[in-house]
Amino acid sequence: MVVVKQECETCRMVVDVLAQLAEATALTVYTQDDPAFPPTVTPIHDHDLAVSWHHDIETVPTVIRVADGVEVDRTVGWVRDQWERVTGVGALGPDLPPFRPGCGSMSVDPDRVDALNVAFGGSVFSSRRIDVAAAEDDIEMMFTRGWTDGLPVVPPTEERVMRMLTGTTRAPADVVATVPPDLFDITVEKVAIAAVMAGCLPEYLPWVLTAVEAACTDEFNAHGLLATTMPVGPVIVCSGPGTRAIGMNSGGNALGQGNRANATIGRALQLVIRNFGGGRPGEVDRATHGGPGKFTFCFAENDVESPYGTLAGEHGIAAGTDALTLFAGEGPRCVVDQLSRTPDSLARSLAACLQAMHHPKLVLGFDAILVMGPEHARVFDGMARDEIVAAIGAHLVRRGAELIRGADGIAEGIPEGFADVPEVPKFRPGGLMLTYAGGGAGLFSEIIGGWANGAIGSAPVTRAVAY
Amino acid sequence: MHDISDLELRGVPGMFVASAEFVQAAISQSASLGFSAVARVFTPHPIQDRTDDEMVAYADAAFDEILAAITDP
Amino acid sequence: MTASGTVILDPTSEQHRAERELRARPRSIDGLTIGLLDISKPRGDVFLDRIEQRLVEHGAKVNRYKKPTFTKPAPVDLRHKIATECHVVIEALAD
Repeated sequence: MVVVKQECETCRMVVDVLAQLAEATALTVYTQDDPAFPPTVTPIHDHDLAVSWHHDIETVPTVIRVADGVEVDRTVGWVRDQWERVTGVGALGPDLPPFRPGCGSMSVDPDRVDALNVAFGGSVFSSRRIDVAAAEDDIEMMFTRGWTDGLPVVPPTEERVMRMLTGTTRAPADVVATVPPDLFDITVEKVAIAAVMAGCLPEYLPWVLTAVEAACTDEFNAHGLLATTMPVGPVIVCSGPGTRAIGMNSGGNALGQGNRANATIGRALQLVIRNFGGGRPGEVDRATHGGPGKFTFCFAENDVESPYGTLAGEHGIAAGTDALTLFAGEGPRCVVDQLSRTPDSLARSLAACLQAMHHPKLVLGFDAILVMGPEHARVFDGMARDEIVAAIGAHLVRRGAELIRGADGIAEGIPEGFADVPEVPKFRPGGLMLTYAGGGAGLFSEIIGGWANGAIGSAPVTRAVAY
Repeated sequence: MHDISDLELRGVPGMFVASAEFVQAAISQSASLGFSAVARVFTPHPIQDRTDDEMVAYADAAFDEILAAITDP
Repeated sequence: MTASGTVILDPTSEQHRAERELRARPRSIDGLTIGLLDISKPRGDVFLDRIEQRLVEHGAKVNRYKKPTFTKPAPVDLRHKIATECHVVIEALAD
């Protein structure tokens, strides 16, 4: 058999050779584009490229010798020696040059490949297929079904999901995690669907998969995080050279809008929790106020320029390794200090603001991530990570008597049993985590307050990204 | 049925009544709206030339089905 | 495959039917407010008058509404009014 297309000059050049072959042996010619080509034989029009796809035709012309229904030899382009060997017919195309390269097969055309893979790739998908009804707008349908976070999502067509799956070497049917609250096992395929809906590019998929794994661990306690009345959600802090490869933002406005990777990786995790996990506001999600971070809250720490290492490093990840940390947190609040020039002054400022996180009298029960902006970090120049945390921590200690319920006329506080404890820190050891991100201008840091820690709460989870 | 589809999305369970002429159209229109399950009950046809007594009879004949379409005991 | 041809993959854990489902119905209509929406075709009002009588006999309260024309969807204000005033709605009578 020979596969050709009329658009290809080499195919046009060999039309007489095809006629020669047709006389000498059993020959079937498939034409990819023009059913009337070649005029010298009676071609079969491979109109849907099924034959080309199933025979892995990458170049036209391709000549395949078939014996007993099985391919035994092939050659591509026009090379007289090869054609004579493969077909067993001599003296082919005596007037032609000895060789001429072929052209790209239509079945490997980048604009066609996704659709062909969907059509002929067999059932790589196990997800239920849903027809978008004729009078339904596909974007509206996503809203009608309740599958959005309130903003439009990208309809997860088979082609888009197929393309998303190229972002991982994992098999679509691989189980990634058991997702609360409904506790069903989610596959790579279902995560890819969420990633498509969120607007991710395929290269973000390994990050989304890792985030889903991390979020569904017992220690992170995604169910508790979802069901709480506190305004918290998963915060993803990414780290490593891979963040730059996918264009994440660790600089100006890193915690804000505008960056596709930041925005969509966080959003994909939220959509997994909502659509696959079954976690929705007004149902399992009982947040009193919630917050904008529950749309998406994902950013990269600036691991290259950080003068004091990384959050990933604090949690055991080697430098230069792609990783992310899941933290159960609320929206960021700003620390304004535009005058401190010494580490001691800035440490006291940060401590004063950190003490007030959630409530000045509530201590030990919550962790925090402190996102120091570059202009603040510079004030601590030369100090190691643990020295900076210790310097801040030194001003985050209060007498138990000041913190107990009823103290200062405030009913809220820690249990009366702490009344005689002379020094009660705001944070448990390791509960105040540093990271470095933000633009070069602005003497600010951001506090991301955590949900409850400990046995009933959530612990931060750090995972290296698996590719 | 577009109204019923919209009202259901607004949280109001609903149904429509149409004459038998409408059976096929209801199937295809509801499918094209992505809402094949939309609740409906059919009366005989025609409607427009019926007397008041005949319309009352249609209503009585349809009532049990209508009730079934709007409740879930 | 439908006329539109677009197929999407289900993002859920597939515990529920793929089709759009009916809104949950009440156990009974006793004490509820039922909206009767007249699409303004002839004889529909007589039909709805009788349905109203029967519904009231079953303990429901009935609100009557009328679309300006059967040729278009009901105006959004009317749909909003019905949605805020009624527990259930019945639209009639198309032929």
